[in-house]
Amino acid sequence: MSVEQTVARAQMPTQMKDTRPGIDWRGRALDRAPFLVACLMLALIVAIYGSLQSGVFTLDELNLDTAAAMTLMLAATGQTIVLVRGGIDLSIGGMISLGTVIAATRFTDDPSTTAFWALAILALGFLIGALNGLLISLLKLQPFLVTLATWSILNGVAMIILPTDGGSVPGWWVGFASGQLLGLTSPVWMLLALLAFWWWFRATRVGIIIQASGSNEKSAFLSGVSITRVNIVTYGLSGLFAAGAALFLITQTGAGSPTIGKDYILPSVAAAVIGGVSLFGGRGHLAGTLIGAFVLTLIGNLVFVLHVSSYWQPVASGVILLLSVLASSVAEKAARSRVL
Amino acid sequence: MDLVTVKGLSKRYGGIVALSEAAFSARAGEVHALLGENGAGKSTFIQILSGAVQHDGGTILVGGRDYRPANPDAAQARGIAAVFQELSLIPDLSVEQNIWFRHEPRTLLGTVNRTEMRRKTLALLEKYDFPALRPEQELRRLTLAERQIVEIAKGLAKDPRILILDEATSALPAREAEWLLKLTRQLAAEGRLVIFISHRMAEVRAIADRLTIFRNGGTVAAHEAAAVSDDEIVTQMIGRHLDRLYPERVPTMTDRVALKVGNLTSGSRLSGVDLSLREGEILGVGGLQGHGQRELFQALFGATKASGAIELWGKPVAIGNPRQALTGKDGIALVPEDRRGQGLLLTKSVRENLTLSVIKRFTESGLLSRQKEAALVKEMVDFLRIKAGTPEQLAGTLSGGNQQKVIFGKMLLTQARVLLLYDPTRGVDVGTKGEIFQLMRDLAARGYAILFHSSDMPELVHVADRVLVMRNGRIAATLEGDYISEEEILRAAMLETRAA
Repeated sequence: MSVEQTVARAQMPTQMKDTRPGIDWRGRALDRAPFLVACLMLALIVAIYGSLQSGVFTLDELNLDTAAAMTLMLAATGQTIVLVRGGIDLSIGGMISLGTVIAATRFTDDPSTTAFWALAILALGFLIGALNGLLISLLKLQPFLVTLATWSILNGVAMIILPTDGGSVPGWWVGFASGQLLGLTSPVWMLLALLAFWWWFRATRVGIIIQASGSNEKSAFLSGVSITRVNIVTYGLSGLFAAGAALFLITQTGAGSPTIGKDYILPSVAAAVIGGVSLFGGRGHLAGTLIGAFVLTLIGNLVFVLHVSSYWQPVASGVILLLSVLASSVAEKAARSRVL
Repeated sequence: MDLVTVKGLSKRYGGIVALSEAAFSARAGEVHALLGENGAGKSTFIQILSGAVQHDGGTILVGGRDYRPANPDAAQARGIAAVFQELSLIPDLSVEQNIWFRHEPRTLLGTVNRTEMRRKTLALLEKYDFPALRPEQELRRLTLAERQIVEIAKGLAKDPRILILDEATSALPAREAEWLLKLTRQLAAEGRLVIFISHRMAEVRAIADRLTIFRNGGTVAAHEAAAVSDDEIVTQMIGRHLDRLYPERVPTMTDRVALKVGNLTSGSRLSGVDLSLREGEILGVGGLQGHGQRELFQALFGATKASGAIELWGKPVAIGNPRQALTGKDGIALVPEDRRGQGLLLTKSVRENLTLSVIKRFTESGLLSRQKEAALVKEMVDFLRIKAGTPEQLAGTLSGGNQQKVIFGKMLLTQARVLLLYDPTRGVDVGTKGEIFQLMRDLAARGYAILFHSSDMPELVHVADRVLVMRNGRIAATLEGDYISEEEILRAAMLETRAA
């Protein structure tokens, strides 16, 4: 503390707010760099898409694209919570498959039966996730390994229930995704609900404890946090959102599939990373993840309107992922060099 | 009446006794200092008090009631909070989120009430006249000193009856350290008990009402601070030591400088270290733990980035990584602290461990010469008296001392002639310790230059030709001849600098 600052403090003894120079804008900008890069990418992709295709800047297009992205968004919401905790959840692939096959074999035209099974799927998702968390804590195993194993198990169970794609989902359930309110379809409302959930969740004590455990597990433990409980809640939520993703996915496919879940495992991680969520835990926002999910979805559209082979989609996704990782590591280094 | 009374407290970790029969008593409204060397049992004692670990034997009474906290939360519930050195702070949370972590004021929605949290933060900071902190700033942007201050705020936020400060001043600059001492007195005046650990005698003198001295995992004495002299304290901290373990100190150093280091600096851990190590010399590096010894050894071996000038056998060299340190004849080799993790491949044989990094030396036109290898291995096993059935025995099955000898052998085969030995006798039995010291002497006589750190002070006193004492990343003193003693090392490490 310099002499001037000491004097300044002595002069206003009841107010100790900011005796140091203004807000650290550069630091804040560096923190948000990965998120800003993701926004730029999305803007660029939308611009290219809009120049090639008419009617991109309409509500219809927003409704369509959000419906296309919503399964990934739900899966990636759970993944984001796990990543912020400093873990990873591969089992969501198995949970999504299992959810769709249970729904496709159990849902009937009777709303109460369907509602029961829908709730059962959500509960199962939470329980299986909680089990992941418990195993990780009790066996002191890597989240990667535990969830890889549960993914395989869930996948197998899904195959046993429904060996090939099929089953059926009531029409009114499928119709949910195209239901409208104020010109916006239900997926867009779900998107807003996810953002509201995150706004609330990250400010709750549980949300802060999960973030803290990802930021520095040992410090959190020393502050009295039960790491086992944190893992149970974190992976439980991830399983819950994976189950939700399955329930939404069947509105798009109208059937169950024992293998479809694997298509969401790595993209859910990629969406979060593109949106600036740190793989090392402690840092990241759902808004970034949702933008990342849009980026990944719109690349598909772009590949389509460019009339090139659809195999270019994963290539483009990979390149974008690399660029995002690069952007965040450059920003991280810049931020770190300032601290030391 | 005493607020805390401890009797016969003990704690074991496996076969190692960390604390035995410790006794302690302290009153409300006093500042009570704990003194002792590293490993004397202070840390274990305060870990037990703060609920981080549980004791195996003995009793603790707090406010006349039995006290046995299962975790830090339980300790806090009884009004005991600790401010630790290994900080319990979360890098990605803000200053105020850290201060109130898990105790945040909340709104009806269950979210954190930011307005209320800010108000409470400012009230707390103002009440204790904290140095300026920005409540909304993320912790990872703060300096080490600022983090320490946040840690103190976090401790005080729980309004404890008993506050434990574990070397809280060691990370603070002079002005803030002074503030903390004032704060400590203020807390005592409010009727709290402050248990204060510091290696700085002047601080202890300035604020402690009473002090308890720890040695070898037990308490040896408790004093009214006014009734005891510095010398008595230091003597009680050290106690008596046996010293038949050590070889005769025959000076073998020449005038030739093997390693000359100028202004070696690495972050905040190492600042402006100068040293010169001569051929045939064993130069000890001492001081309290965590004052830059590890960083010095790593920097010299190229394992940590550092700036400064290094001359090896009179020639300036750049050491950017361990490979450069080891390169060529007469290079620099390190015996690392964690030999199981860094030095030794436990699932490989003694032979493979010895020769892995020097495989080029017995390769002829691309092919391994088994004979050459076998000859070298035999020579080394004999020279070091490695007790292994055959050279093919797995390194992991050897005793700690013999494992350490294999690492010495590995290092000698690299043809390095400047040896950095970082705590080479840690976890080694007494007999082998003696052999290692004799070996060091023999190597010095053969013209090796040895830089030697030990966490055990008597080893430095009895083995090294000269001893550098480090404090806060600097060389605080260079001790020679009769001045090499535990008292002098401790004095230089803890008290004001004497003429070096």
